[in-house]
Parts: sequence; C-alpha cells; structure tokens
Amino acid sequence: MFIKIENLYKRFGHTVAVDHVNLEINRGEILTLLGPSGCGKTTTLRCIAGLEKPEGGDVIIDGKPLFSQGFVPPSQREIGMVFQNYAIWPHLRVFDNVAYGLKIQKLPRSVIQEKVTEALAAVGLSGMEKRYPGQLSGGQQQRVALARALVRHPKVLLLDEPLSNLDAKLRERMRFEIKSLVRRMHITAVYVTHDQAEAMVISDRIAVMEGGKVVQVGQPEDIYKRPANRFVADFIGTTNFIPGTLSEVHRETNVAYLQTDFGRIRCTLSDSFQDFSVQTVQASIRPEEIEVLQSAPSDRENVLKGTIAYRAYLGNFLYIFVTIDNTMLRVQVPYDLKKQEGEEITLFVNPEKCMILP
Amino acid sequence: MQKSNLVLSIMLWAVVALFILYPLSFLIIESFKIAETQTYGIKNYVDFFKDPYYLKTFGNTLFLSLLVLIVTTLVGLPLAYIISRYRLKGKVLFTALILLPIVLPAYAGAFALIVLFGKMGVINLLLTDWGIVSKPINFLYGLHGLVFVQSLHLLPFIVLSLSAGFTNIDPSLEEASEVEGANGFKRFFTITLPLATPNYLAGAVLVFLWPFTDWLTPLIFGQVDYLPSISYINIAYHFTDMHRKYMGIVSVVVSAVICVTLFLASKYWVERKKYTSLSKGTTLEGRIIQPGILLKVGSYVYMFIIALLVLLIPIVLGLSAFSRRWVLEPFPTYWTLENFKLIFIETPGLLKNSLLFSGTALLFGIIFGLPAAYLITRTHTPGKEALDFIITLMLAFPGIALGVSYLLAFWEGIPLATHWIIMPLSLFVRRLPYFLRMAHASYLQLDISLEEAAEVSGATKLYTFFTISLPLLLKGVFVGVVMFFIMAFQEISTAIFLYRGGWETLPIGIYLNWHRGMEFGIAGAMAFFMIVIIFILLLIVSKIGGGILGAAWGSSGGRY
Repeated sequence: MFIKIENLYKRFGHTVAVDHVNLEINRGEILTLLGPSGCGKTTTLRCIAGLEKPEGGDVIIDGKPLFSQGFVPPSQREIGMVFQNYAIWPHLRVFDNVAYGLKIQKLPRSVIQEKVTEALAAVGLSGMEKRYPGQLSGGQQQRVALARALVRHPKVLLLDEPLSNLDAKLRERMRFEIKSLVRRMHITAVYVTHDQAEAMVISDRIAVMEGGKVVQVGQPEDIYKRPANRFVADFIGTTNFIPGTLSEVHRETNVAYLQTDFGRIRCTLSDSFQDFSVQTVQASIRPEEIEVLQSAPSDRENVLKGTIAYRAYLGNFLYIFVTIDNTMLRVQVPYDLKKQEGEEITLFVNPEKCMILP
Repeated sequence: MQKSNLVLSIMLWAVVALFILYPLSFLIIESFKIAETQTYGIKNYVDFFKDPYYLKTFGNTLFLSLLVLIVTTLVGLPLAYIISRYRLKGKVLFTALILLPIVLPAYAGAFALIVLFGKMGVINLLLTDWGIVSKPINFLYGLHGLVFVQSLHLLPFIVLSLSAGFTNIDPSLEEASEVEGANGFKRFFTITLPLATPNYLAGAVLVFLWPFTDWLTPLIFGQVDYLPSISYINIAYHFTDMHRKYMGIVSVVVSAVICVTLFLASKYWVERKKYTSLSKGTTLEGRIIQPGILLKVGSYVYMFIIALLVLLIPIVLGLSAFSRRWVLEPFPTYWTLENFKLIFIETPGLLKNSLLFSGTALLFGIIFGLPAAYLITRTHTPGKEALDFIITLMLAFPGIALGVSYLLAFWEGIPLATHWIIMPLSLFVRRLPYFLRMAHASYLQLDISLEEAAEVSGATKLYTFFTISLPLLLKGVFVGVVMFFIMAFQEISTAIFLYRGGWETLPIGIYLNWHRGMEFGIAGAMAFFMIVIIFILLLIVSKIGGGILGAAWGSSGGRY
C-alpha cells in the first residue's frame, strides 16, 4: 500500500466536504476520484497535497503519516500537482516554470538543464523553453504544467481536472498521453475528474464519490458492470431505471421478481442490495443490454411491447426511446434498424443484466 | 506556518494599537472632560446638541453633503456611462484628466477658483470690462460656491466608482434585456443602474463624508458655520477658552462618528447587495457600444466641458506661478521666474520636508501594508477582519480628528510629537488604506493556485512570496505605492496640527503663503509645482495599472 487515506474528515464551516474517507492506493497505479461537483473529490486531493488541513483522519504516503504526527507542508511531500487552471506562473518563461522546483533543490545548473529538457521533450514541448506562458496555447500550457509536475520525479502525481479546460478533441488525446507518460515513469497518480469517460480511459481503479463519501472503488469494468448503487449506475455510463415492488425474492440464486407498471420482470439482486424491508425498489438496465426481438413470443419472461417515441442517430449505433405504458426506456440498437418513430417494437430485457440496486 | 502568522498578526496589531487606538482613546476621553470642574461627564455633548449654533452648523454640513452628492451624481452619471460604454478616441487621456482632482489638494483648487471666479477674479473683471455687469457676481462666497468647489473636487470618486460598476457588468446581462425588448433608457434604469449600485455607493459615501472632514475650503470662502471648520477654529485659535476647545473636540468626535457610521452602513449595505455573477469569461473592458454620430458629438462636448473645468485649476495656478502682482487684472502682466527661485533656492526646506515625510511614511506603509494585505487575504488568523476594519475606517476618518488625537496623545506620556517622526507617522496612519486597498485588490486578483503550485514544487511560504507572489503583485503594489505617495504628499488636514517650525511641508507652505496675501505667486508656484509632480505620478499610475486602480476603487467597497 503506497498511499493510505484513513478516516479523512474535512469541513468548511458547516458543510462537510470530506466525510470519513478511507482509501488505499497501490504503488504505480492511477486512481481516479470521480464524482459530480461538490462531492469532495478535489478537497480529498488537496488534503493529499497538504493544501487543505483535514479536521480528522490522516494521509499516509509510503509509510509516513502527513497529518497525525505533525503537519507536513506541501513543500516537503515530494509531490507533483497539475492544477485545473494549470497555475503556470505568467512572469516566468517555460524553462523557469519547469525548473522552479529543481532550483529549490539546489541542483547543479547542468543537471537542471538536462532534466528540464527531458521533461519538456516528454510532453512534446521541445524548443519552447524561452517562451512566456502568454505566448502558449491552452494545450501547451497544460503540457507545461504536466512537465513541471513530473520533472522532479515525484512520489505522487496529483491531477485536479487537468483536461477540463481543453477542447473535446485535445482532451481525448491528452487522456492517452497522460496515461502512457505516468505509466512510463512508474509514478503513482491520483486523478480527479467529473467526466466518467475520462475516468474509464485513464484509471487503473476508480473511486466514485458522492456527498463527501466514497461509494464504490473498483476497476472501470467492475464499476460499470456491477455498480454498488443507483447513484453509481446513473453516474457511470447511461442506464434505465425501472421502478417497481419486489414480489418474489430468491436469495440463494439472487433472483428477484419486480412488479412494474407493465408487468412482472425477472431481475438479479446486486450484492450490495441488503435491505429487504424496502418494498419499492428500482432495477437498472443499460441501453445495450436490452434486445430487440423480431417476433413476440408471449410465453417468455421479460418480453415488453412498446412504441418508438424517438430515434437518435449516433453514427455507429442508434438510440431509440421506447414508451411502455408510462415508462420510457432508452435502447441501444444497430444503426440499420428499420423501424421508424411511432411503430411498435418488442424488447427483451436480459434478467442477468437487470440489476436491483440499493 | 500557523504560528508565524500569529506572530505577524500580533506585530501588526501592536502598530495599530499604538498609532491608531491609543491616540483615538485620548480624543474620546478628552471630549468627555468638563472644562469648569476638570471632571468627566457627558456635559459637553449635551451642550453641543442643545446649542442652536452647533445644531445649525451640523445641519449646514449635512445639507452641504447632500447637495454635493446630488450634483456630483447628476454630473458624474452620464460621464461614467460615456467613459465605460462608448467607443471613443482619447478616452484614456481623458480618464487620467478627470482623475486629477482626486489627487489634487482641495485647497489648491479653491485658491485657483478664487483667482478665476472671485469677486475681483478673472471672470468678474472681464464681465465688468465688457460692461456686461456693473457689480461683480458672487460665484463663490456662500453655499453655492462650496457646492461648486467640492463637487468639482469629488466628481472623480463618483465617476470612477460608477464606471467600474458599469464595466464589471457582464455584457450578456444587458444584451439579454435588449433581446427581451427593453430600449436604451429602460435597460439603463432596470438593469445597468441597479447592477452598478453597490459600486456607486462605495464612491458616494466618500463624497458624502467629505464636507464632514474638509475644514479648509469653507474657511477659504469665509464660511465658518460648518462642523469641521468650527472645530478647527475652536481648537486652533481658541484653545485658551476651555469651553470652546472642548466644543471643538466634541465637534470633531461627532464628525468622526458620523463618518464612521455612514461608512459602515454603506459597507454593510454593499456587502448584502453584492451581486454574485454566475457568468464566466466577462471581457476586461465590459460592454462597449459604438455610439451614433449625435451621441458621439454630445459625449465629446460633455467630456470637454468637464475636462476644461478640471484643467482650469492647473492653468490658473500655472499663470500665477509665472507672474507677479496678478491682481485687479484679468490676465497677468508681469512674467517672472522669481517665485520658483524663491521656493527652490531660498526655501528648499519645504520640498525637502515633503519628500522626507512622504517617503518615510511610504516606507512605513510598505513595511506594514504588505504583510497586512497578506494576512487579510491569505490566512485565517483570528482578528484579521478587525484589523482590516480598523485600517479601512481610516479612509473615512477626518484628518482633523487624527491631528487632534495625535496632539493630545503624543505630548505627554509618549512624547513623539517633539520629534519630526510624528509627521511621517501620522501620514502613514492616515493614508494607509490607499496602499492597503491596492495591495489587497492585487492579492485578490492573484490566483491562489499560482502560490499553491510553488508550495507543491517544494517552496516554503517565504520563498513562494518572493519568487511568485511579489513579482506578480508588483504592478498593483507599485500603483499602491504611488497613490499612497501622492495622497501623503498633498496631505494638510492632519499635518497642520502637528508641524512645528522647520517641519513645514509644501501644502503647509502653500497655506501659509496664501495667508500673506498679495504675494500669492509663491503659493501659486508651490501649488503648480506640486500639481506637476502629482500629474506625472498619476500618468505613470494610469499607464501601468488603470485596471488595478479600478479594481481597488470600484469594487473594493464590496470587497471590504
């Protein structure tokens, strides 16, 4: 365990920003703190950096507690950080921005020169040493920030929504660049974002946060396929929620039947669903797990009949929105679906993938 | 880190306690002293509010304040709108020009206007020569004259704060109102003006308070029935009459209380009313409109008339500076450099004193102001709000009150008043807000993540301050330094109570030479020389940090 966050607690006035967070980050992995704005992800990151002081709990990096046994200031934590607005010093040239931390270490000038050149080359900014930040594009400033954070080979790299100010195309590319760069340098990284697609691409593991708490930690696939609760299912990817009441529960097989407005559906109980006293629940089914059937076998379970309300063309596939009584389901279908808006359609909801979530 | 902040806070508080709280306590205690019995009680205050004369002065002052505020607002509103909204050539130069009265000493303007508009002034002489009037018109002597002079002096406060308010408004807010179908006037009164109100109020309160602090202008125009003027006369000329002396002190305290209360009330109101804007990416210069030809001509004429009025002051002072015996003639007849020879060669002490005192005060200001700005904007040290509060209050505190307090406090006990250091010390305390506001505003503009990035890179707080914060603050700090220097350079209200033979500053020299009557060429030369220095400094300021000036003056009413 390289970084250990223990019972971290931080509030601003009466607002609890980080509510007893526990998290373990392995050496060399990229962990993303993912969540909507105000969920406490940035505050958690800033506690790791030492830019915020928590009211309780501790952050331990490489066995060294950073709060409980005397506060270790950011300057002594051997971290690198990329800020959301880059925080490139406008009065220093690119070279001096990157060399700043090395000069503090009082390294010989030749070593500084070498390291800065290397770092700038790694982010693809060779030859820009003499420029001032004002003469750089947003993407280039972003790279300077990255070079500055990496040049000292920090123990931990912290990234606070580093791509949120870039345009969509560049953002897409930088995800992969950052990932390969961090991998190559074997640095442990904590990455903060509210963009679930970004988190999926960049992370080894994701910690989803809500209301100051970590609600689920796991590999991207894990979180997508087995969300711990409705919030995670909704936040990661797209899903349909079907409300209903539990009518039949088989706890040994994890099978449950949901009584909905349009009939009984067979579903799977998620592992995290424990509270069986609750009668009204919701099942989550992803758009790609709903199948379109050509005919309508009336004897099969989980077969639904509805009408196509809209079609949305997304290039490699279609989203169709199907109304069944008062419920609308989003279904992902091949782009060559012949049926038009207003036509009837028969759907099959895969019971294994239809999860009842807390 | 926390500990060093606390030490810093204690040091700053010690300065505030010694040089602000300690002398002020003397003023307050003294105001309760009863002349006949040498005991303490509220008799002086009862007397003050029972005496129809003092009540009349009080009412006069209030009425003057109101009139000045109305006039400056009516004149300043269109001007601020023109400056901040219309695309016009030469706007920058003009803005620097209309800033001039703010830094010009009020008395210099008063002297110039007497030469120009006095009973035997240029205008009246010309009018009589041309046979238009048989008896000189009274332009100045009376309430109307005071309103005229003080409005001219205070106009920049209104224009500056209003135009900062207009500029701060996100263009899309006005555009949205246009889209909804509001025409120009409707839009201005329903959207633009309400949004600029907090800024306006920050400037308006300073304007309103001015008549409660300016004792000299009424005196120059022969009007004594105003609160600060009667305080000055009572304290400076009737100190042997104990009752009049204490009445003077009570009037000072009453003025100070009114100033502080109004200032606080406006601050509170502004704080509550401050509109938090959700919008992103507002342009730096706000909304700019291309005016039609009629509007354009109208704007230029309007700006020109005001610029002319403002420029009259340095022109008149210049004319008198280079002439002798310019009396009873519409224009000078005898040109000479004699006046300048006199001030540079025969009495260079005044200039030397002014530079020494203002310079030393500036040094104190920087040493105190930079750490104070840091403490207030960047730390959570307990008591920092109170510190900020007391320093900001000095902006509204009458100079005469400070002068009297220092006189009372530093004669016995701590006998600082016998050493020239009292002069820069009082200047430092009186003008501190000017520097602090600027430092504060630039600190607020400095994104905190720039400092955090340095700390993460391994820099200590102190190293961060010198390598990152200070270089980035430099512009704002420099503007603050210059503004502080200007305001210290032209200070007279406090200095006149504290100076002793040999400590006369340039403003005091102007005042004394004017007293000597006929030879006002010397006073004119001094004032002209001072205006030249101030104008050069002002040009530097508006060249370097127009934006910072706006930020410090315009919206700090809300920030503070």
